[in-house]
Amino acid sequence: MGRAIAISRGRPPLVQIHYRTHDGRSGAFEAKVGQSLMAAAKSANVPGIIAECGGSMVCGTCHVFIDETWFAKLPTAEPMETDLIDYGLYPRPTSRLSCQITVTEAMDGLLLEIPPSQH
Amino acid sequence: MSTTTATLEKTLGIPPHVKPEQVFEFDIYADPRITDDVQGSYAAALRGAPDIFWTPANGGHWMVQRGDLITEIVKDYEIFSAREMQIPRVPDPPYMIPLSVDPPANLPYRAALMPKFSPREVAKLEPHMREIATKLIDEVVAKGECDFIREISSRFPVSIFMELMGLPLEKLREFRIIADNYFNARSNEDLARLGGQIMGIFSDLMEIRAREPRDDLVTSLMNTEVDGRALTRDEILAMCLVLFLGGMDTVTNVSGFTFQRLAEEPAVQARMAADPTLIPRAVEEGIRLHGVICTPRVVVQDTDKHGVSFRTGDMVLNILSQVGRDNRANDHADAFDIDRENKVHLTFSTGPHLCLGHILARAEIRILTEEWFKRIPSFRAKPGARHGFRIGTVHALEALPLEWDVSA
Repeated sequence: MGRAIAISRGRPPLVQIHYRTHDGRSGAFEAKVGQSLMAAAKSANVPGIIAECGGSMVCGTCHVFIDETWFAKLPTAEPMETDLIDYGLYPRPTSRLSCQITVTEAMDGLLLEIPPSQH
Repeated sequence: MSTTTATLEKTLGIPPHVKPEQVFEFDIYADPRITDDVQGSYAAALRGAPDIFWTPANGGHWMVQRGDLITEIVKDYEIFSAREMQIPRVPDPPYMIPLSVDPPANLPYRAALMPKFSPREVAKLEPHMREIATKLIDEVVAKGECDFIREISSRFPVSIFMELMGLPLEKLREFRIIADNYFNARSNEDLARLGGQIMGIFSDLMEIRAREPRDDLVTSLMNTEVDGRALTRDEILAMCLVLFLGGMDTVTNVSGFTFQRLAEEPAVQARMAADPTLIPRAVEEGIRLHGVICTPRVVVQDTDKHGVSFRTGDMVLNILSQVGRDNRANDHADAFDIDRENKVHLTFSTGPHLCLGHILARAEIRILTEEWFKRIPSFRAKPGARHGFRIGTVHALEALPLEWDVSA
């Protein structure tokens, strides 16, 4: 369902990101356009996103599964990101590191799933 | 400026860019306020100090004790470089890969090492780690006492590390002494000699592995490519140096301090014994309370931040162990509270140099604790025993005599 993007003057627009945990809970959080999906999820205390390295792409603990239809719309991952995902416990074809995804206006309504654990 | 400050400046040689109110004297290697409760006494000693302060000791350097500031500094490598990590500064500082390499150059090395330290590899190692832990604990359980450092925590992670690297286990004590001496070294001469000794160990091992490859890290590094070329011998040795220093000491220290604390917490022990599913949370709480690393950076670009004038060549020591002890980050920070929802700490640092072994370290401490509680559900510190410690850029406990009741 379409939804108007919240825009307040002088501030980056906000989009709504939806998530599901592996044990079936769901929720949503707001993300600022231009920030990383990881940073937005961390600010909103989304459960199961650790991001131990704070977005330096060396830890792989901000791993998420992106809903298939959304996954195809994202820019592709660098080899280092794919490697980190493959070294993890729950790699899937739609896996991404949320620190490597920059939020855009087109991501309003994006759905992601949190893996059972990050390590 | 008061007369006292002026005198202080004159006698201690405080540089003019340091404001008088930013001076707080602290000797990272021998401060008299530090006790066997290393992290607790450290936090108490620095309670009156600014978040960023200058100590005139050890050649004079900055110290940072607040988590968000440390996070900013370790990520801001264009101003705070990792290429020098020796305090006091030495003319020819040790070079370790990837630790001394700033991004983005560190990333290919990191990528080369990551497979062996990944969650997936660590999960594969778990049964073997459990075997080693069981064997070591079984050796002491009937005695009703042990020196936890000497008999358990210096042997368990170090055995795993040595196997991972491909080092001969019978050299364990010898290698531990070299690592300990390295952390006590201050002069360029001693650092070079001990660093040379460590790299000599790996240089010999590389020669052997060139003839007889094995499923170990040294063999794997010899066959790893970065940026489409093989790693050079010097690069592999510079990687082995930091792995050796990290692997020989840090988990030993974190688990040692954690058990020192648990020995004083009978109620926590009782909960962990009754419900082993609490152990991972208890371990994370032990990790929060017992950071053992202070990570140095060198200022490579003059900058004014947070009211501080950082000048090129200033050394900045990030006291990672203080973050978990900060009451602003954790309520009643000194309390051991398994149920604490958000255990804020930087024990493994963060940013591009986040501890490569953080997954392995957590798994090791968890497994050791699980196997210990299965066999020794209740224990205490031997009364009156001094533990002894080493402080500096790595905090260590020297001894931990524990005792427990043995049923007949």
